Amino acid sequence: MIWQQLQSLAGSYPLALRGLGMTVVLSLISLVLGTLLGFGLGILRTGGNRLVGSVIGAWVDLIRGTPFLVQIFLIFFILPELGIELDAFTAGIIALTNLAACFICEIVAAGIRSVPTGQVEAALASGLSRWHRMRQVVLPQAMRIVLPPLVGQYVLLIKDSSVVSAIGLTDLTRVGWLVVQRVPNGLLVFFLVGVGYFIVCYPLIMLARRLERRMGAAHGEVQL
Amino acid sequence: MTANPKGPANMTKTGMIDFRGVNKWFGALNVLKDITLSVEPREVVVVCGPSGSGKSTLIRCVNGLEAIKDGDLVVDGQRLGDPATNMTQLRTEIGFVFQSFNLYPHKTALENVTLAPIHVRKIPRTEAEKAGRELLAKVGLADKVNAYPAQLSGGQQQRVAIARCLGMRPKIMLFDEPTSALDPEMISEVLDVMVAVAEEGMTMMVVTHEMGFARKVAQRVVFMDAGAIVESGTPDEFFSHPRTDRSRAFLSKILRH
Repeated sequence: MIWQQLQSLAGSYPLALRGLGMTVVLSLISLVLGTLLGFGLGILRTGGNRLVGSVIGAWVDLIRGTPFLVQIFLIFFILPELGIELDAFTAGIIALTNLAACFICEIVAAGIRSVPTGQVEAALASGLSRWHRMRQVVLPQAMRIVLPPLVGQYVLLIKDSSVVSAIGLTDLTRVGWLVVQRVPNGLLVFFLVGVGYFIVCYPLIMLARRLERRMGAAHGEVQL
Repeated sequence: MTANPKGPANMTKTGMIDFRGVNKWFGALNVLKDITLSVEPREVVVVCGPSGSGKSTLIRCVNGLEAIKDGDLVVDGQRLGDPATNMTQLRTEIGFVFQSFNLYPHKTALENVTLAPIHVRKIPRTEAEKAGRELLAKVGLADKVNAYPAQLSGGQQQRVAIARCLGMRPKIMLFDEPTSALDPEMISEVLDVMVAVAEEGMTMMVVTHEMGFARKVAQRVVFMDAGAIVESGTPDEFFSHPRTDRSRAFLSKILRH
């Protein structure tokens, strides 16, 4: 019986590959967009304008404080009621990007706040513009705080992408659901699904660990 | 350069830095009390006083790191707090040396010096680097061009910080206790550089207790206590014949060591 199941599983491998591809594409697009947006929000959040900062803060809290499944349902099922028709892929990208941006915003804001005020004062005193202060002085120093948790967050977000299967996107998790209907061995099927995610995530986990070690060393060295 | 900034000689011209009745509060604390002080072009003014007397706050107001509450502060002909004054632009004319150096730790000595010239003054990189090397050589650090701040001693870091300011060719240099964070054996190497800058005719305000420096290059010593200017005079007048009890008490404390 197990032999039959394995054979049948082997036949599903084009579908599995498609699912893996969908998971990777979804994650990649939303992580890139989410990172850009998250840095922008993090910079604005710490930028000194109290109104902007608190609006972003409230949005970030709202997103971090609600389940991702609920968010994706709201975007996919509620927005059309308001006349915004979205296909599942776009809805998935929007939801994941927003989630990524909110978590990354907090990481970036914490990094920026960790840069000593003396650094900003030195940059101010030499007449650097707001853009150059950020680009040349603050962000490079914030990055050593930001990078390790950022990569760790990527891992979490890739795994969160499995939730998009709930709105019918054929990602790795949904492939699992489809296959298990033909191959009634949930343990085996979802073990393989898990392996698929792990293959995508493990290099990032390793990267995060390496960055953490490197940044730790560099930080001690650079300490004034 | 008389002790009285409101003297007849100053009636018509305005100084490079002009405080007129400046007040500042931190909450309920009146940290600057009715400050009136004029620093002439090429003048070196040393500001001293007990800690918490407002001397750092005073010079931090000059480049707008602290905002003043009322009164007028005119720097290089531009009124601070005036919407017409471009603060970023004005700051390019004012060098500021911090007690804790505040070098950019992720940039080499040369990059620290060339950053603002390249991005603010828009000087081509090769030209800025040439000028940067010359400045670092001038402060005695020709061999440390590619060193990171963490690889430099405190005295060396502070000399890089001074070179970083000079790289902008400022009209004014402000020093906020530049030698207070240094080990004693490194103080003189920094003071020597400051003396050289003063002798080139830089307008300077220096918060320091280094009396040797004051005697050597300052035209005027301003003594502050509890947010107010208590006494102002030539270094010789001030150190040899302090006029108030508070300045005598202060001097006896710093001279004892």
